[in-house]
Formats: sequence, structure tokens, C-alpha cells
Amino acid sequence: MAYANPNITADAIDAQEFMDLSRRYRITGVPKTIVNDTIEILGGLPEAEFVALALNKPDAT
Amino acid sequence: MPLLSDQDRQTLITHLEPIAKKVDVLLFTQTFGGGESGVVAKQVADEVASLNAKVTVVEKNFVLDTDDRAKYGVDKSPATVVLADGVDTRIRFYGANTGYEFVSLVEAVLLAGTGNLELEPETLTALAAVDQPMHIQVFSTPT
Repeated sequence: MAYANPNITADAIDAQEFMDLSRRYRITGVPKTIVNDTIEILGGLPEAEFVALALNKPDAT
Repeated sequence: MPLLSDQDRQTLITHLEPIAKKVDVLLFTQTFGGGESGVVAKQVADEVASLNAKVTVVEKNFVLDTDDRAKYGVDKSPATVVLADGVDTRIRFYGANTGYEFVSLVEAVLLAGTGNLELEPETLTALAAVDQPMHIQVFSTPT
């Protein structure tokens, strides 16, 4: 997604290494995705569903 | 001792053959207070770079290279930043990049080196409309 648009940055974070961040975002299971500090997506989802949630357009799928 | 078996290595060399662009893997580590993960991250990055001649590891000091940290928005270490022909892909890895993250790093290098996005047309259309900064953080564990 980051490669597709210069406005997007994507971080892959080792939840065990960065425990302070894991606590901050309440990471209790992985994978868990946080978008703009506000949107939480738990687990691996189909592409369309994931993108819709990440873009905060859950009704788009 | 190498992280990859000979068989895995050959598989990955074939997988990365389509790389046409120069790929720089910027690795930010720190000697003091960085822990073991920086050493492992270096070994992982070196092994990935050894799979294709167009892939290079560029070491950065997390403490001293503050300009590069600011340029790429790196705020913790170890950090891996992937560049395609010197251009930031805005793909970052934080941690040692072992386990599942190793696969993700290989795929990021392949994407940077080929420019081939394997996303659905509808996804690309939706992403093209993003006109504000969007920060995606994906948390995972090595196993």
C-alpha cells in the first residue's frame, strides 16, 4: 500500500521487541494493524476488506 | 552460521531474479543499548543482499546519523528502510526481521526492485485517492 501512494507509510513492527508500543496499542494478538493511531484491524483479512477498513470505509466491501 | 539453508537460498535467488532496479536496504542500528536484535538484523539484511547483486545493505548509525533518521522518519532501532533506485518506498521494518518478517522483507525488496504491485485494480484505485498522510503500523511476532 505504501508503494502505491506516496502519502502512505507502512511499518512492520516486531511486537515482542517493542513492548512499549505493543502496550500503547494494546497488542494482545498478531497480526494487528494500527492506521493513523486510531483504526485497529485484528488478524489477517482479505485484501478488499483490509483496505476498506484501513481507509475507514467499512461499507465499501 | 548462515540463516538460510542452501536449498532455501537457491529458491530465493530464483525468486529475486526479476529485480531490475537498484535496491538499497538501509539498516539503522546502535552499538550501545541496541541489544542483540541489531546484530541479527544485520545478518538478515546481509543474507538478503547476498541473494541478488542489485541489492545493497547501507549501514546507518541510529545514534549518530540523525539527518538520515529524520529524513526517513526512523524513531527506533533496529530499523530497516527499503529504497528503490534511491527513492524511499516508505516501507519500514522495525526489529530483527526474522521469521515471518524475513519473508516480508524479501517481498519488499522484490517489490522495490521490480515495481510490480500485486494488488487488485480496485485496491489501487482506492489507494490512489488517499490525499492525506496515512501511517500503517503492522504488529507481528517472529514465530
